[in-house]
Order: sequence, then structure tokens, then C-alpha cells
Amino acid sequence: METVRRRAFMKGAAAGALAFTVGGTEVLMLPREARAQKVPLKVLSAEEAGRLEAVSEALVPGARDAGVAHFVDQQCSVPPHEALLGIRIANVRPPFVNFYRAALNEIDRQCQASHGKPFAQLTAAEQHAFIGTMRVGKHPDWKGPPAQQAIYGAFRTDGVDVVYGTVEGSEKLGVPYMAHILPPTRW
Amino acid sequence: MAIQEKVDVAIVGAGPAGAIFADVLTRAGKKVVVLEYGPDWDDNQLISSEIWGRRIKHAPRFQLAGRNNPGHGSNAGWGTGGSMLHWFANFPRLMPNDFKVKSLYGKGLDWPISYEDLSPYFDRIADDIGVAGDAAAERRWHPVAKNYPMPPLKSFRHGDIFVDAFKKHDIPLAPMPTGINSTEYKGRPACIYDGWCHVGCPTGAHATPQWTHLKEARAKGTTLRPYSYVTRVLTNPAGDRVTGVEYYDAKKEQHVQPAGVVVIAAYSAETPRIMLNSVSDKHPNGVANRNKLVGKYLMCHSGANVWALFDEDVQNYMGTTATSWMSYEHYDKRHPKKGFGSAWYLFGAAMKLNVNIAGARPDLYGSALTDFMKRAARGLARVNVYGEVMPNAENRVELGSDKDEFGLPIARIIHAYDQDAIDLYNDSQDRALAIVKSANPREAWKGGGPVPGTIHLLGGTIMGTDASNSVTNSYGQTHEVGNLYLAGGGLFPTEGSVNPTNTLMAVSLRGAEHMAKNFSAIAS
Repeated sequence: METVRRRAFMKGAAAGALAFTVGGTEVLMLPREARAQKVPLKVLSAEEAGRLEAVSEALVPGARDAGVAHFVDQQCSVPPHEALLGIRIANVRPPFVNFYRAALNEIDRQCQASHGKPFAQLTAAEQHAFIGTMRVGKHPDWKGPPAQQAIYGAFRTDGVDVVYGTVEGSEKLGVPYMAHILPPTRW
Repeated sequence: MAIQEKVDVAIVGAGPAGAIFADVLTRAGKKVVVLEYGPDWDDNQLISSEIWGRRIKHAPRFQLAGRNNPGHGSNAGWGTGGSMLHWFANFPRLMPNDFKVKSLYGKGLDWPISYEDLSPYFDRIADDIGVAGDAAAERRWHPVAKNYPMPPLKSFRHGDIFVDAFKKHDIPLAPMPTGINSTEYKGRPACIYDGWCHVGCPTGAHATPQWTHLKEARAKGTTLRPYSYVTRVLTNPAGDRVTGVEYYDAKKEQHVQPAGVVVIAAYSAETPRIMLNSVSDKHPNGVANRNKLVGKYLMCHSGANVWALFDEDVQNYMGTTATSWMSYEHYDKRHPKKGFGSAWYLFGAAMKLNVNIAGARPDLYGSALTDFMKRAARGLARVNVYGEVMPNAENRVELGSDKDEFGLPIARIIHAYDQDAIDLYNDSQDRALAIVKSANPREAWKGGGPVPGTIHLLGGTIMGTDASNSVTNSYGQTHEVGNLYLAGGGLFPTEGSVNPTNTLMAVSLRGAEHMAKNFSAIAS
């Protein structure tokens, strides 16, 4: 009982927030909710967000609806030392949005060269095959940085974060989250 | 530029080494200021999330080079507590042979001190911070003088499931000594095994500087200045004394902090950066770098891991990031069939979904990843083997071509494994896979690729007998400038293959007490 009481006490001590701007006001919400409510993006364009969602969804099913684009966009808008992105600890130097833009541009350049259309318009099988080649760094004539494997790792991490790195993600897999201090907006 | 009031001691970095120096010197009646680059974390800010936990690590600001670069971001801490705020809390110590590698094996370097010199400090650190473990079980491998103040932590099925497999391979085990409370200790509660140690534990069960030395130091008068980015150490015109440090605050305003003694405890990459940028006519290579050894002999540990998927619920979401079990049985540096260096087994750590479990099969994506996550969420377990890497002067920190926002060069980290390290890693992977398979999992596989991953960052400002072979003496006092001390894992001439924090803290306590005892002579 002592343990339960202590944990319950600490849940109330949550600090910090993942803040989205709605109508000029900062609102705490899930990226999933931000996407559903079409909260304006801060850094990425809508077109860039769509391209990012396509790659992320192919890597980690569920990432699109979980709000991966809003997550990445919001995190690219904060100072680097406040960012929660996986690339922060993977030695990618800020500004982080440069990494995503370069990655998306090169992915689509490659897809245009090989299939005559961008990644988002490939079939599911074509997307899967493209990522498989990217994972092992075998797309020829790749214009980096970022390197192919670095993009695979970073985009996969973002997708895994929004789908599985949350209280909601744990609950879906039947795993107790057991927070000392719950993430604000369940992040 | 603002000139601060002179203090007895200015310490750069509020991690475990800096905190110990602050605690000891403040107790000795000295006026101490600690300058910390990052924020002053409060326990209420330590959110239980792999995602939010990234905030307590260093945002990248380094140039990287070399075939196998450990980088900096996942190792270094940012803010009070330093890397110990996100440490796993494994608390082993280096073995006696680690201090005499050159003498015993003809490779690597020797420390200027022995295990016996540090032994009483290991015991005192254990009492200071609270260590849970079973010293009697460890004495088959090395002389642990005193028993630990607490019994071992509780173990869970994801670790215990391998115990019989190790027995089958004639590998004795001991409970991992941990810097986590198994019982209430010094007013701090016992662990509740929720597995969030590495993102910052707000309960106080996890022995971070916030709950131990830094807390004590601040209570006794140490001044902490967060968001203070130190750029240079300042010296007198003769170049034989440091006079203080230069730093920028959160508003990007420049300050000078005059001090009788300066201690740089800013981790293995940033300590050399500050020293190399501290150029003057008397120190054209950077302060205390006449021998050009500052930045040299940077080391990391190699990390081998083998995964196993069981059909049963192994409770992998429970426990601590410290493992339940460990073994030094294959620690002899000549034990591997191929390669050279110590190997150390550890297993039974809690896992979280988006890092450990998704990371166990980094090759999977799409529906295969979805399927794996469902199967592994409760059934995944792991055995790790940490490997030693010999010191090599070519692995180093130097000043990069890029500049920071104040116009000074940032650090460039250069690192590559030698063949001994790669062979040791592969040997360890093979041994661990054989052990894991003996536990009869549904699936077992090696993590990582043909070249090891990297863990920890050590060396770069090594200690030694004199200026011909090192930057500092055994206390961390630089050979060239008597009132400039260095502290932390950067002092290690060799690294063994265990987590470094225990040894780092013992070395820091020894150095801080030497300074306190001889303060008048050092500071005058």
C-alpha cells in the first residue's frame, strides 16, 4: 500500500508540457489529437508533413494517426536542448529540421529516379522494398548527408516513440506503464 | 563582462565528480562555486518516459570522426547530476589487474595507483551514497573490504531465467552491486522497481548527486550556477597558476569567476575542449598541455548483447536499469579465444517498449515490427557483455573546425576500435549466445553488427606518474599547474570493462580529500 500511495502522490507532480498552439493559445494535447484537430504546423509545411507521415507509417504502422508529423514539427520548433527527438542523442547536430528536410528530399529524389513518383505515391510493396534497401544503405547514388541508415534509424525511432513510447502504447500491448511522474499529455 | 567575487574553489560540472569535490571542500570550510552548463533539475521534472528522458542528456555540439565513434549525446548528462542523473546504477569496481595492465600484459597503460590505494574509498563511497549488493559473493573475484550497507535488490524472472544457464557453463554469478536502495537508507526510500532509473528517478531511491553529494554540498554552502557555459581557464602572466574561469550565463553575458583552485569535471569530451581553448602565450597548446597529451587516450566500452524471446511472461517491464546479476568470471584479459581485454557479464535489467524492445530487432519495420512488439512486450530478455578497449593515443578529443556561439572551437571526437577490441566483442557475443541458448528460449539472436556498439566515455586527460606520460597525478592535479585539478572518468588510463561510476567516485573522493588536506599549499 505504501508503494501505491507514493506513486499516486507523484502522479500529481507532473511538470513541463508538449504544447501546441491553437488560436494563438498554447494547449497541451496528444500529437494524435493535434493531428485530428488539424493544429497548424510550426516548422514543417503541410506537404513536408504528409511526406514524413508516409515514410513513418511504412516504417511503423500507426505512426501517422499517432501524430508523428505533429510530434516532429513541434519538437523541431523548440530550442535544441529542450528537444525530445531521438536524433538528439544520436549525435545529429541542430537545427534538427534540416535533417528531416534533407532526408525527405533525398528519399523523394530517389523514388522519382527509380519509380517516377514520390515515396508517398508508391504502392505499399514498393515502399516496403524501398525502405529495405535504405536500411542497409544500398540505394545507389545516394546524396547525403544524412546517410540512408541514419534516416532509417531516426524515422523509425520517431515512429516507435509515438506508437509505443506512450502510456497509450503500453496499454495497447498490455504492459503496465508504471510511471513515477506521468508524462504531460501522456508523452 | 562581470567579475564575480573570488572563491576558494571553482568547479566546472555538477556531475558525480564535481559534486564530490564540492562536498568535501565545502565541509573543509572552503567557499565553493559550481558552474554547470545545463539546468538545475528538480526531482519533480524527472518524467517517467524514454522520450522525456532525453532532456537530461547532452544536446549534440560535437564534430565526430573515426571509424567507430561513440559520440557524446547518449553518454553525457546535461544539468545537475551530470551523467549520473541518467546512469543505470550498476556499481561494480575495477579489478586489481586493471590498474597494472602494462606491467602485467605488456599492453595499454598502468595507473599510478593500485586497487589497494582505492579500496578504502570504495567502501566510503558505498556508505555515502548507499549501495545494495552482496560483497561476500564478489570476493571470489576481488577483495571487497567491507560489506555493502544494503542487501541486493530484488531480482525478476527476466534475469533469473538465465541463472541456471550460467551454471551449466560453469560461470558463477553475484548480485549486481547497485547505487539503488533495496531498503530505506539515510532517509531515502527503497526502490519500487518501476524501471525508470535512466530517465531520472524522482523518488530518491536512485543515488544521484541530487540526493547525495551535491545535496550535501549545497546544504553546507556550495553555490551552484546552472546554465553557465565555461569557455576557458584563466592563468596568471607567468602561466604557473590558474586564476579562475571565464563563462557565459543563460543570457549569454560573459563572466569571470576568480578562484584559488579550479577543478574541471566536465566529462571526457568537454574537459579537453575547455583546456585546449585555454590558450595563452605561456600555454600555446592549451592549459597544462605542454606535453600535448590533453585529449589523448579517449576510450569507450564495447557492448555485446544477446537477446532471447521466451513464451512466458518474464516481467521485463519490472525491475531497474541496473541488472540483477553479473560475473567477472571471464575478466582475465587473456581469456578470450581471440582478441585481448576484459569481458564482464551482466543481465536482468528492466526494459521499456520504445527503446529496448523495439531496439532489440532494429532490422524490423512495417507489419513485422508490429508482430514482434506484440510477441516481445512481455517475453524478451537479454544478456550483455561489456568489453574493454585498450588506450590508444590516436583516439582523442581535439578542437574542431566549427565554432560555438561565442566564437570558440567546439570539440572534435575521434575514435576507432582496434582489432583486439573487435575480436573480444565477437568472442563475447559467441559465448553469450551459447549461454542464452542454454536457457531454452523460443528464439535467441545476437544484437548489433560486426562492430561493437559503444558505451561510456573515458580517458582524454589521463593520470600517470609524471608529465612524460600523463596530464595529471593520481589526485587529478595537473602536472604543469598546481592549482588546476581535473576530475571524472577522463582521468582513467585504462578502463577495465565495468561501469566506471564507482571507480570514478572513489578517485574523486581521494583527490578531493588530498586537496582539502593540502589546500593552503595548493591555493597559495
